[in-house]
Amino acid sequence: MIKFDRVSKLYPGGSRALADVSFHIERGSMVFLTGHSGAGKSTLLRLVMMLERASRGQVIVNQRNLSNCPDRLAPLVRRSTGMIFQDHKLLKNKTVADNVALPLMIAGLKYSDIRKRVRAALDKVGLLDKETVWPLTLSGGEQQRVGIARAIVSMPPLLLADEPTGNLDPNLSRELFTLFEQISEQGATVLIASHDLDLIRQTRKRVLVLSNGRLADDIPASDGS
Amino acid sequence: MSSDMWLRQLRRKNRAWLRRHSYSFFSSLGVLVKHKVGTLMTVMVLAIAMFLPLGLYVTLTNLEGMNLRQDEWGAVTVFFKSGTTREEVRRVADDLGNRMNPETVVIISPAEGLAEFRDASGFGESLDILEENPLPWVMQISPQQGPTEQVEERVAELTIFLQSFDNIEVTQFDYKWLQRLGRMMELGQAAVTVLILLFGLAVVVVVANTIRLDVASHTEEIEILALVGAGNAFVRQPFLYTGLWYGLMGGLLAVLLLGLTMLYLARPLGLLLETYGTVFSLRGLGGYNTLWVLLGGGFLGWLGAWVSVQRYLQRLKVGGRLGR
Repeated sequence: MIKFDRVSKLYPGGSRALADVSFHIERGSMVFLTGHSGAGKSTLLRLVMMLERASRGQVIVNQRNLSNCPDRLAPLVRRSTGMIFQDHKLLKNKTVADNVALPLMIAGLKYSDIRKRVRAALDKVGLLDKETVWPLTLSGGEQQRVGIARAIVSMPPLLLADEPTGNLDPNLSRELFTLFEQISEQGATVLIASHDLDLIRQTRKRVLVLSNGRLADDIPASDGS
Repeated sequence: MSSDMWLRQLRRKNRAWLRRHSYSFFSSLGVLVKHKVGTLMTVMVLAIAMFLPLGLYVTLTNLEGMNLRQDEWGAVTVFFKSGTTREEVRRVADDLGNRMNPETVVIISPAEGLAEFRDASGFGESLDILEENPLPWVMQISPQQGPTEQVEERVAELTIFLQSFDNIEVTQFDYKWLQRLGRMMELGQAAVTVLILLFGLAVVVVVANTIRLDVASHTEEIEILALVGAGNAFVRQPFLYTGLWYGLMGGLLAVLLLGLTMLYLARPLGLLLETYGTVFSLRGLGGYNTLWVLLGGGFLGWLGAWVSVQRYLQRLKVGGRLGR
C-alpha cells in the first residue's frame, strides 16, 4: 500500500527532514509512526498526501509513484486518502454534518447518498446527535472525532493520522485507537503518527521509529496481525 | 474497458460535475443573501457603473428617434424672385417632384406668408399700413428621410438642382446644422463605446476587488478544502458564481434605475416637446438590449472573479502542493 524507497526530504535552506528512509506497509495493516518532535513524522505523512515532494527516492502509494506524479493529480491522491489532523482542521462556519460531508461533496455524490453516509460516519464515531451543531461548541475530543468521521466518510483505502490524540485525555485516546483498529479490520490501511508510547505499546501493532529524519527502528506487530 | 462501461463512467462523471456546480451555484447565492448589506452596496456600485453608459446610449437612441434633424433642420427653403408667378412656382415644384423625389413640397404664397407672419409676430393691424405685400413666393422642401449621411447627401443634391432655376432668389437650408448634429451623434456614439469599455473595466475591477477580499477571508477554508481533496475548480466555482451573481444583479439594478429615470423624465420632457409641437414617447432599452446588459454584466462579474481567484490559487498552488 505504502512504499518508501530511500526517500530523503530537504527543505529550502538545507534543513533535512528525512534521510534515506525505506519501508513497506501492507494493505489493511495498522502501523504507528513515532519519534521525538522534529523527527520527520509529519513530513513523512505530508509526502504520502502529496503536500510535499521527496527530494530523493521514491514514494509509492496505492501503486502510484508520487515522486513523478504531476501536481494536477494531487487532489485525486488526497481524495483516496483520509487524513486526520492534530488541530482537527474543521470549518467553523459549517455544521458538523457539513464538515463531514466535504469529501463527498467534492466527489460530487448525490445529496441523499451524502446524507446517508454522513450519518453512518457520525454514528461510527458516536456523534450522531451532534449533526447540526457548530464545531466550536464541541469539546476537543468531539472535534477530533468529527475529523475522523470526515476522514472515513468516503471509505478511503488509506487513513493517515497526525498526532490524533495530542489534545486528548488517556481514556479518549484509548477509545480513538480502538476506533482506528476497527477501521483497519474493515480493510483500510492506517498509519498513525504519535508520540504516545504507552498507548502504542498497548495496541501491539507495528511501529516505525524515526530519529533525526532516519528510520531508527521498525518494530513488528506482536498481536499476530 | 468496454464502451458500455466507459459510457457509464462518463455519465457518472457528468452527474458529479453537475452536482458540484449546483452546490456552488446555490451556496454562493445563499452567502450573498446572508450578507445583504454588503451585497447591496457592491451591487449598487456596479449598477451605477453600468447605468452611466446605458443612460447615454438610451439618450442617443431617443435623440435619433426624435426626427428633429430630418423634418426641421433638413428642410430646404426656397425664396423666389419678386414678380414670379404662381404657374412658374408650380412648374419648379413639378420639376422637383419628378426629378428629385422629395418627401414633401409645400408652396407658401405671399398672402399665406403674410397671414402667418401677422399671427406669429403679433404686429396685427400694423401690417395693414403696408401698401403692397413685400413677401415673395416660398417653397419648403423636405428630402426623403433616412440615415443621417443619406439625408445630408439628398440635401446637397437638392441645392445643386435648385441653382439651375433663374427665378429663385435665395435657397436657404440648415445643412450645416444637419451636418453638425450628425457629427455630434457620431461623437455621442463614440463616447458610448468608450464609456462601455471604461465602465465595463470598472465592473471587472470592482468585482475582482470584492472577490479578492472574499477569498482572503476564506484562506483557511480553502486550505482545508485542498487538504480533503478539492481541486482548483471546486475551490474556484463558488467565487466565480458569486462574481456572476454580482454582475447579473448589478445589470438588473442598472436596468431598473434606467426605467425609473425615464419614468421621472418622461413628463417634463413631454411638456418641453409640446412647446415645439412635437409628441414623443421615450424609448427604453427594449427586451433584446436588456438581455444583453444582463448577459454582459454576468460575464464581466464572472471575469472579475476569475482574475481574482486565479491569482490567489496560483499563489497558494491548491491544485498541487500547498504552501511552500
